[in-house]
Amino acid sequence: MLDVGRHPNIKLLAYSELEKLTGEAGNFTATVRKKARYVEEDKCTGCGACREVCPTPVIDLYNEGHARRKAIYSWFAQGIPSTHTIDPDHCRVLTGKKCGICQKKCQAGAINFEQKDTVLELPVGAVILATGYDVFDPEQIPEYRYKEIDNVVTAMEFERFLSASGPTEGHVYRPSDRKVKAEIAELDNKVRKSLKGLEKFEKDHGMTSAEFYAAHQNGSLNPTEALEKDRDKWVERYSAHLEHETPLLALKEKAKGFKSAKKLAFIQCVGSRDLRFYPFCSGYCCMHAIKEAIISHEHDNDTRSVIFGMDIRAVGKGFEEYKIRGGNNSNIVYKRSRVAEITKDGDERPVVIYEDTKEQKVKKEAFDLVILATACGPVKGAGKIAETLDIQMDRFGFFKTDPANPLDTTRAGVFVCGCAHSPMDIPESVAQASSAAARAVQAVMKKTDQKAS
Amino acid sequence: MKTTGETIVTKDILVLGGGIAGIQSSLDLAEMGFKVYLVERLPSIGGKMAQLDKTFPTNDCAI
Repeated sequence: MLDVGRHPNIKLLAYSELEKLTGEAGNFTATVRKKARYVEEDKCTGCGACREVCPTPVIDLYNEGHARRKAIYSWFAQGIPSTHTIDPDHCRVLTGKKCGICQKKCQAGAINFEQKDTVLELPVGAVILATGYDVFDPEQIPEYRYKEIDNVVTAMEFERFLSASGPTEGHVYRPSDRKVKAEIAELDNKVRKSLKGLEKFEKDHGMTSAEFYAAHQNGSLNPTEALEKDRDKWVERYSAHLEHETPLLALKEKAKGFKSAKKLAFIQCVGSRDLRFYPFCSGYCCMHAIKEAIISHEHDNDTRSVIFGMDIRAVGKGFEEYKIRGGNNSNIVYKRSRVAEITKDGDERPVVIYEDTKEQKVKKEAFDLVILATACGPVKGAGKIAETLDIQMDRFGFFKTDPANPLDTTRAGVFVCGCAHSPMDIPESVAQASSAAARAVQAVMKKTDQKAS
Repeated sequence: MKTTGETIVTKDILVLGGGIAGIQSSLDLAEMGFKVYLVERLPSIGGKMAQLDKTFPTNDCAI
């Protein structure tokens, strides 16, 4: 990634979108809109001081919604370019409110609320389409109760949990437990505030609020004149305080029993190899599940994983060995089955209902966390990309190619690689990307030769 | 690059998408001496792979 930012032959246009492509192979004109970041790219040093003072939290999609970022942000810590960006939908200044604290804080003077989009016209000879994919939305399978049960997550969300730079700093805490902890933090804040409000009464009248309230309740209070004056207010404030403190103590008691998730279920083919959605195999999810199970076991040796799949497709160099190693060394059990439903028990634990095809029995088992291997689908907005480039899509929304020229789209000079082509894993994407580069070179060299002669 | 003929011809190449595929294509082309424009929709390149903790089958770091 760093090499891309540094290479003299690469002009990196991040936070930009293609608007139009006219002309023909060897002689295209690409219209690219470079969106305003409201931060000057050549001045921003990426120090992050602006981010620290920004008062507006925004859901962080890089962490799959499990963390908050600020309205001024870098997409992720090591991002290239390291320039920060202001989110125009959430920034207080850009939504017409008063703020600008980041501008005051920025020592480089990089923040520019007046920045405008710039539109570039680029002459290019060939185009490589590497727009990637988006994962299948598991809410389309209601029996898996994604979003309904907190502890059912997607493989990508789980990936963020495992990451040391992720929302749980690499610990596999259950989302339901994290929700309780967030509630505790919120109530803690309220209780701290209400305690402050009670302090004055306690000091003035020389007793604790609890003592006062008990005496008030059982009628043993001998109020002085001053106390009689404060009495109603004190009662009111203390009742309000109890309203927060009582649930807070209960939640704190509950949180004492929280442990990291140690029993994991991986459910394969969520949306793929399913005639209701995508009939094809996504290719990488079996290995992805095994990898996540191995890493979880590395983090915590007590972790046990069950991978529920119709079969484990480990078809790549070194993949089968990896699968066997996982089974032998990382507490992974491969269960041939198709999960019918996920329900929940009293302790927020997801219960997997499945048929064990070996024993031909329907079984039920509770897990700490369920991880859904969501299918690889076409990128959101693929239709718009196809329209802009004037190319065709296949019936699933991937870009159409010819089996004899697998990287050529329906428009000459436009090539496709990676998951924009079809689902594939990283090594295959890399190999295809190099092939697409070679095809693009052939296209521009051929055109140049023809024109020169 | 331009020729003196009627049509302007350029060897520059546009890569759409800055995930692992787009990055690899861009680097290959750049190393071969071609000028590349790499267009990415998000503020930083890296794509889905930048979200991954480790990659199989070697358990190497993704970024």
